[in-house]
Amino acid sequence: MTQTLIDVRLTVNGEPVERAVEPRRSLVDFLRHDLGLTGTHVGCEQGVCGMCTVLLDGEPIKSCIMLAVQADGAEITTIEALNGEELHPAQRAFKEAHGLQCGYCTPAFILTSVALRERGLDIPREELKEELAGVLCRCTGYQNILTAVETYLAADD
Amino acid sequence: MKPAPFAYERAASADEAVAMLDRYQGDARLLAGGQSLVPLLNMRLMQPEAVIDVNRIPDLDGVREDNGHVRIGALARYSAIEWSPIVGARLPLLSEIVRYIGDRQVRTRGTIGGSLAHADPTGEMALAALALDATIVVQSPTGTREIAARDFFLGPYFTVLEPADMVVEVRFPHHTMVTAFAEHARRHGDFCVISVAALGEPDGDAGWKTVRLAVGGASHRPFVADEASAALSNTALEPDAVEAAGAACVEAAEPSDDIRASADYRAHLLPIYVRRVLDQMKARRSQGAT
Amino acid sequence: MTDVVSIPETEIAPGQVGGRMERVEDERLVRGLGRYVDDLDPPRVVHVAFARCPYPHARIVSIDAGQARAIEGVLEVLLPDDVLGRTGPISILRPIPEAPRVMPYALPREIALYEGQPVVSVCATSRAIAEDAVAALDIDYEPLPHLSDVEKALADDAPILHPELGTNLLVQNPRGDGNPDAGFAESEVVVDDRFRINRVSGLPMETRAILASYVPGVRELEVVASTQAPHLFRKQLSDSLRFPEADIRVTTHDCGGAFGLKLGIFAEDVLVCLHAMDLGRPAKWVEDRMEFFRGATQARESLHVARMGASSDGTILAYTNHYYVDLGAHNSPMGSPMLSSLMFQGPYSFQHGYVERNVVLTNKVPVGAYRGYGQPEGCFVRELLLDRIARKLRIDPLEIRRRNFIRPDQMPWQTPGGAKYDSGDYQRCMEMAAETIGYEEARERQRALRDEGRYLGIGLACYVEMTGYPGSKFLGKHGAEYGAHEGVVVRANRSGGVDVYTGVPPIGQSTETAFTQVAATVIGLDAAKVRVIAGDTQGTPVNTGSFASRTLIAGSGAIERAGREIRDKALRVAAFMLDVPVDGLELADSVISSVDDPEISVSFADVAINAFYGHRLPEGELPGLEATAYYDPISSAFSYGTAAALVEVDPETGEFSLDRFLFVHDCGRQVNPMTVEGQLHGGIAQALGAALFEELVYDGDSGQLINGSMIDYFMPTTADLPKIELDHTEVLSPVTPMGIRGIGESGTIPPGAAVANALCDALAPFDVDINRLPLTAEYVWRLVAESRAHA
Repeated sequence: MTQTLIDVRLTVNGEPVERAVEPRRSLVDFLRHDLGLTGTHVGCEQGVCGMCTVLLDGEPIKSCIMLAVQADGAEITTIEALNGEELHPAQRAFKEAHGLQCGYCTPAFILTSVALRERGLDIPREELKEELAGVLCRCTGYQNILTAVETYLAADD
Repeated sequence: MKPAPFAYERAASADEAVAMLDRYQGDARLLAGGQSLVPLLNMRLMQPEAVIDVNRIPDLDGVREDNGHVRIGALARYSAIEWSPIVGARLPLLSEIVRYIGDRQVRTRGTIGGSLAHADPTGEMALAALALDATIVVQSPTGTREIAARDFFLGPYFTVLEPADMVVEVRFPHHTMVTAFAEHARRHGDFCVISVAALGEPDGDAGWKTVRLAVGGASHRPFVADEASAALSNTALEPDAVEAAGAACVEAAEPSDDIRASADYRAHLLPIYVRRVLDQMKARRSQGAT
Repeated sequence: MTDVVSIPETEIAPGQVGGRMERVEDERLVRGLGRYVDDLDPPRVVHVAFARCPYPHARIVSIDAGQARAIEGVLEVLLPDDVLGRTGPISILRPIPEAPRVMPYALPREIALYEGQPVVSVCATSRAIAEDAVAALDIDYEPLPHLSDVEKALADDAPILHPELGTNLLVQNPRGDGNPDAGFAESEVVVDDRFRINRVSGLPMETRAILASYVPGVRELEVVASTQAPHLFRKQLSDSLRFPEADIRVTTHDCGGAFGLKLGIFAEDVLVCLHAMDLGRPAKWVEDRMEFFRGATQARESLHVARMGASSDGTILAYTNHYYVDLGAHNSPMGSPMLSSLMFQGPYSFQHGYVERNVVLTNKVPVGAYRGYGQPEGCFVRELLLDRIARKLRIDPLEIRRRNFIRPDQMPWQTPGGAKYDSGDYQRCMEMAAETIGYEEARERQRALRDEGRYLGIGLACYVEMTGYPGSKFLGKHGAEYGAHEGVVVRANRSGGVDVYTGVPPIGQSTETAFTQVAATVIGLDAAKVRVIAGDTQGTPVNTGSFASRTLIAGSGAIERAGREIRDKALRVAAFMLDVPVDGLELADSVISSVDDPEISVSFADVAINAFYGHRLPEGELPGLEATAYYDPISSAFSYGTAAALVEVDPETGEFSLDRFLFVHDCGRQVNPMTVEGQLHGGIAQALGAALFEELVYDGDSGQLINGSMIDYFMPTTADLPKIELDHTEVLSPVTPMGIRGIGESGTIPPGAAVANALCDALAPFDVDINRLPLTAEYVWRLVAESRAHA
């Protein structure tokens, strides 16, 4: 059946976006294939692995279990927002700590860290592990990811 | 996995939402946080004709105090509850339990109303509502009614809600009791194998007046362990009383086998977790926590 | 020969071999600019989904695709008859020795042999529509009696899954030497048990994916795939599609994790190519996670009936293991995990050992290569039995191992399993592990805590790992469809460096960075000017791929050879340009200069440019500055080490905490110590996942997978794993370039055994023996409860 398309207007990485989408289109598919922002990845479509993490109004969410139509009016931040000639401090921290191997989970962890830093709290390691537990990694065993995030959170502005 | 096609509606008010539900005659689902619903849609385990997005409804996500109660709008996100100073002050057990739900991303979106309506038998929010004697306010096309948490859950993913019902608010009486919570899970943030919540009202030096125990994961729905609670009330939580309470919980439970644990193991853990939680409660009393 | 080379890390520049060079891969990956298959959306791309058999064993009675075809957006539906006439079977890259090759076709003719087997292929303008069409297919299945484990498959009345074989026992592979029976007869103590190793999934975060493009008449089938071995993928596609290999190009730009699951082609890859060729449009399939659990290669499930005998002082006198691999419905491209056989001895010197691998067909997803390739299983069984002997003889687990280790002066060592260990100091790693974990203090604390009713345990496990293959001839004898070599093209570039072309794809293993360091070191270049172009069959020499912990060994050898050729020519040309004797020149940091007078110099870039134009070259020297070289290993190299764990257990509930975990290892020369650590962290995390959390559970009655979703498959999160402590020695291998040994799989081998031994040690007062995985709290509780009941 051809579905009625729904208009969505949102801001993605600071840019206004307007599209008509199928109701069943997920936010992650919309970002990746309608907008070409492929830095956010898909790992399960069940809301578990966290590859699809983006920031919605500054907070981390799993975009595989959000419909694109639900993002109407929202401000979405993807990994591409951090990209410039120089690495963003969070990106640099991951590189220096060898906090990635295949890179598939990396944008999700980086965005989650950025949101954490915005909250401005002093987070002890055990609690930090809990804050990051919504993104899975199969390559690194999390050891260097934790180091990278701790370094980034502790760095001066 | 992409969902089967469905129509998408947005409700601007609770009235509109229940009217839409009514119009679809049971073949529509409310979409709040989506943390439980959308995975089911993605896996095609649910194929409703329509999805009704209620996220825009104003004034349904607040946390406020009202006359000895905390009133939490059905659309309040887990993270809002987690960080709410009102909840921290008035409902510390809820504050504690909500941290066991999912992960940071899930807590950013998931809502208390959605969680209770979903009625996962291991759900921590349902356990909290039972333990804290919450009242669930439900709206339908014919009006609003209030349901005590202990009358709300009927079985796994099964509540008293009718197809055109919508949870709009959850109301918790303040509790000045000492509380404690523990759960056993296969890994962090996972659905629990069993969970136990306890509240106790201190009496004198070492005694306790009312004690309430609630149990999750050990039956087809979370439950308040009435007999166990009675066995503990007006005691000093002596080993005999604690043991009797544990046995009463096991008696009331109907655990099942599943991928996470066997029924036998759940039954074995239950009295041990009752004991641990009560020990925790005693320790918190000594530390002056309420 | 024990040459322990301790190269202080601070002295080595990052860009050189031995340096902690930050990865070149990271610049694109931290920016989200990796190119995984699904990131590519060429114009007019179409999408594929599959109908998969919901039963473990079924006859396909009829398929009605009428409604499916009628859905708007559906472009092609392929049924078995559409496919079987024009495709060949999927070859097996690494056959099981002596075994009949049970090769699947892209679609089954009549019988589906596992839940999840593709039965119909649908191509549509979107994945969602393709799935709508799959749902609209009317497929009539007749469920058949199914075999859900090896015991059922080997029972007398078991249905035979592949009639042409006459049996479900695909093959029996014996291996060993000496006289174990005599050894057992002489033993003071003999222990034995049946060990059940759990079925798990490697679970890379990126699932399988392929994008195929074909233009009729232009003779180009361009494939972008998430694979560990593009050249092998290309070869297999050619065979199955009956399409000339020369007209196929396979590229892997980035791959989000593989771990052995993405070795070779699968049915889905053949089908996607067919759609692309039939429709003349790019066709893409991105496996979703539900398909993944029912289709991607699974791992490790086996039953080990093992026995160990020792003398009164703990010297191992005999070891046997009859093990049964639950292969699933047919071969995976890498056969079955093989190395439980070859590597059964571990680091111990016993001479009487016999292992028999029985490969059994069942109605489950095929089992194949997963990091470790049989070594984790074999290590688990051996190390647990050794600790049991230690407990029976009241010998400390450290001491019993001391009495059994192969010594460094005994190298090279021929094992009864048939491996030839090159070099190593096994005991040294164990002593380092014991010291770091504070073994003596831990034993004291254990005694003290037991008085308080608390149960602390210390556990060890030692391993030896086969890395790389002993040459292509060896593989040829075993019928493998690949060689042991790597080949590279190294070509000077105009920026002062070289471009290294390799068929090895980036799968997270940091090959681009490691190859950069090797090239920079061998030639004498600034690492920042070296580029590695990886994973494209076009422009790279035929090579093998990234698996078996072989890439760095073979790749370094090839880069060394090619690099030397380039270096020698660059010096000759520079000598001519500078008009000085070639002997007095050196090349370092991309500059060629006179040893005596550094002012006399020319940049490598200028030499290259000159060589490309050919304007000023010495007599007889041809233009160009590049070399193609191959390296074929002469022997496998054997990494080794010890894992140690400290646990505390609550016998009342079986709950336990892993309080400390450490790993001391030797992988020979470390090209990049930082990435070596990363490889170990990852391997150890997978090992702890498989040992403590994970299992794919098939229902005994229905034969169906119960937990085929991320929600119910318990992969550990950040909050579930302890800190991993690492240490190492660096005994150079005498049989590899630069003394390198592989490291990719080491982490997976001993951790499960170390934790199990720690648990048994903690619960020694209850006299429990562990013989299955995973080690859940419930399992530990049952062990204690059963032991109490017997007491």
